[in-house]
Amino acid sequence: MKSRIWHILTVLIVLSFLVACGPQTPQKPKLPEKIVVGCLEPLTGAYAVFGTEAKIGMEIAVRHINESGGIQSLGGIPLELVVEDSGETADSARLGAESIISKHRPVAILGLYISRMTIAASEVTEREKVILVADALVDSVTQIGRRYLFRPAPKASQHGATAVEFVVAAAKNAGVPMQRIAILNEDSSFGRSNAIGAVQAALDNGLTIVYQKEYPYDIADATSIVADIKAAKPDFVVHCPYFMDAILFANTFKEAQAIPKFVAGMGACGYTDPESVKALGATANYYMNTYSYNPAKNTPQNRKFVEDFKAQVGHIPTEAAGMNYYAMWVLKEALELSGQMFPDDPLNPDNLRQAFLKLDLTSGPAVETYPTDRITFTETGDNPYARAVVLQVINGEPKVVYPFEYAETEAVFPRPDANY
Amino acid sequence: MRRSRKDINRPLLILLLGIAVLLPLVVRSNQYTLVLLTTILLYGVLATAWNIIGGLAGQLDLAAGAYLGLGAFTTGTLLIRWNVSPWLGMVLGGLVAIGFALLVGYPLFRFGVKEVWYALSSAALVEVLRVAFLIWNQVGGPVERYLPYHEWSLYHLRFATYLPFFYIMLGLLVLALLIHHWIRQSKLGYYLMALGENEEAAEVLGVNTQKCKLQALSIYAFLVGVTGGIYACMYGFIHPNFFSGPMSTEVAILGIVGGMGITYGPVMAAILLVSVREFLRANLGGQLEGLYLVVYATVLILIALFRPQGLGPLLRQAYDRLLARVAKE
Repeated sequence: MKSRIWHILTVLIVLSFLVACGPQTPQKPKLPEKIVVGCLEPLTGAYAVFGTEAKIGMEIAVRHINESGGIQSLGGIPLELVVEDSGETADSARLGAESIISKHRPVAILGLYISRMTIAASEVTEREKVILVADALVDSVTQIGRRYLFRPAPKASQHGATAVEFVVAAAKNAGVPMQRIAILNEDSSFGRSNAIGAVQAALDNGLTIVYQKEYPYDIADATSIVADIKAAKPDFVVHCPYFMDAILFANTFKEAQAIPKFVAGMGACGYTDPESVKALGATANYYMNTYSYNPAKNTPQNRKFVEDFKAQVGHIPTEAAGMNYYAMWVLKEALELSGQMFPDDPLNPDNLRQAFLKLDLTSGPAVETYPTDRITFTETGDNPYARAVVLQVINGEPKVVYPFEYAETEAVFPRPDANY
Repeated sequence: MRRSRKDINRPLLILLLGIAVLLPLVVRSNQYTLVLLTTILLYGVLATAWNIIGGLAGQLDLAAGAYLGLGAFTTGTLLIRWNVSPWLGMVLGGLVAIGFALLVGYPLFRFGVKEVWYALSSAALVEVLRVAFLIWNQVGGPVERYLPYHEWSLYHLRFATYLPFFYIMLGLLVLALLIHHWIRQSKLGYYLMALGENEEAAEVLGVNTQKCKLQALSIYAFLVGVTGGIYACMYGFIHPNFFSGPMSTEVAILGIVGGMGITYGPVMAAILLVSVREFLRANLGGQLEGLYLVVYATVLILIALFRPQGLGPLLRQAYDRLLARVAKE
């Protein structure tokens, strides 16, 4: 009796393997009434604040795209956004990706903001051949051989490079020699990617790295690091903080009377965000950070986006909102190009991927809201022309100061309150 | 009555197992349903393992994330560095988890740390390991480490579909349930239940509580460590955030909601709560952020209010009633 049951069970297991792995009937390509795009962002948990802003950015972009006539090369098909919460862990992100694909079969998914969630979900999008337009900035997201993943926003190392390039350019303008650099970062993969970009840019510009340190993001006392930095006598410090540590370092620099000629933040966290500015008060002045979106870019499309966002949410678009606004426009341009290149089957994931790789945008709504003036993608899915913008706190207000052609105001450089 | 109960129990269990085995047939290649089912099984294994230390021995352990992370890192590191198959890696991961459990459990039990203090110490353990692995650059570090990608490799335990993971997890769940059942029937089980009720009284009666608790802790750590190895292969990378506090708490919640010490309780709780949570997340998460967490929390509160002894006894009552009716007819 026992052995018979086991025999039956074994047969059942083998059978279910065979059926579940069996071939599926291929579907004929047919243009839908609406092109479904997925928004998969952390809408609950620790990163909800970013995910929610990102979702609003996407919603406004879809509205603007549809108002401007949808995807024209496909006969004006409008976009439809479907939203799913990715939670805050790798497994919930993966479940979210499986769920949104099985329910809606979107042509592309925008999102996941956090790198480890993006990587977990991208295994699903790769298998299902769904384009993933990522807004997570850690370099490794595009270094693991994903074919259907594209990232328009500047990656973390490009943030690091922007911070160094800004200081070099500003120093040249001001006629102040800035040769010795100290590099500092919190110890997440994001912090490290930023620092790698800064190191590379420092070497490219012939600077001398006199000090480098990685520290835990929840550091409680920065006195010894600040003392070490002062002893190394850098001309300027490039720093990728998390949030609270930016406040800690700014206060320690001041208390220890060890403010260098310039402190350049990188990676969009700390120093210039509203909470840090509030917490630091007057100490926040002259600190800067790099951002993946330029709310002050004076172009018609960007002004329209900022106005609509402000009317809906009450403040100017944050980085997460801006990144996803232009990401949606980049997707729109790729769909347009796919329609021209592959009129028979424009929504086929491989065709859409080809269109992404062929994109070379230098004008239009995507570029008008983008930090630089060119969007194109390498085989790995990054834009080699991506750069961040620099916001500096001047009189308690974060202002765009770099790139110089899109600056709101002139940078204060070097710091007037430097101690050495 | 006794005879009919036993007669019905075994075929019923085989029927349930058969349904579980056939489930992928029903969902065919819908990967979302498969990953959901696999996740339910995963939490089922973790909660069943927890039920040994938490349910039987009454120790409110909040360190599942620590053992899961150790299993994942052992398996992942062995595979990435030396191409050691995860089949071996997960067993070694389980042993590493045991080693660590003994290292921490011995002093804790030796000095009589219990109740909330044990809960707090075990919760702290997860965070300590997370930070340690973030600093330990040779093995952990802040950057994710990826397992080699294979469309279908039994040796590397890497597949492009969840189907094999579903069956592996199902097998592990059956093993965990058998172990729990066996412990419950054994001398160790009675000792554990005695010390779970009243530790001092058990000691007076001659139970070596420290040894029993260490045994329970080791079995629990081993099962969770093995699960960690499979978890790493399923997600394809390892990262110190695998040492997760919220996940540890969730495992304990499933164990408690399922009914402390009842063999099938945590599995039921996993089936009910994980699928309810996921259903709510998938259907409400996009509409109103956080609404699904409110609904989920309400379900938990209702269970705590009306079924403080968990869902297990409820099912047992219903089952007994059904049996009684069958016997009458």
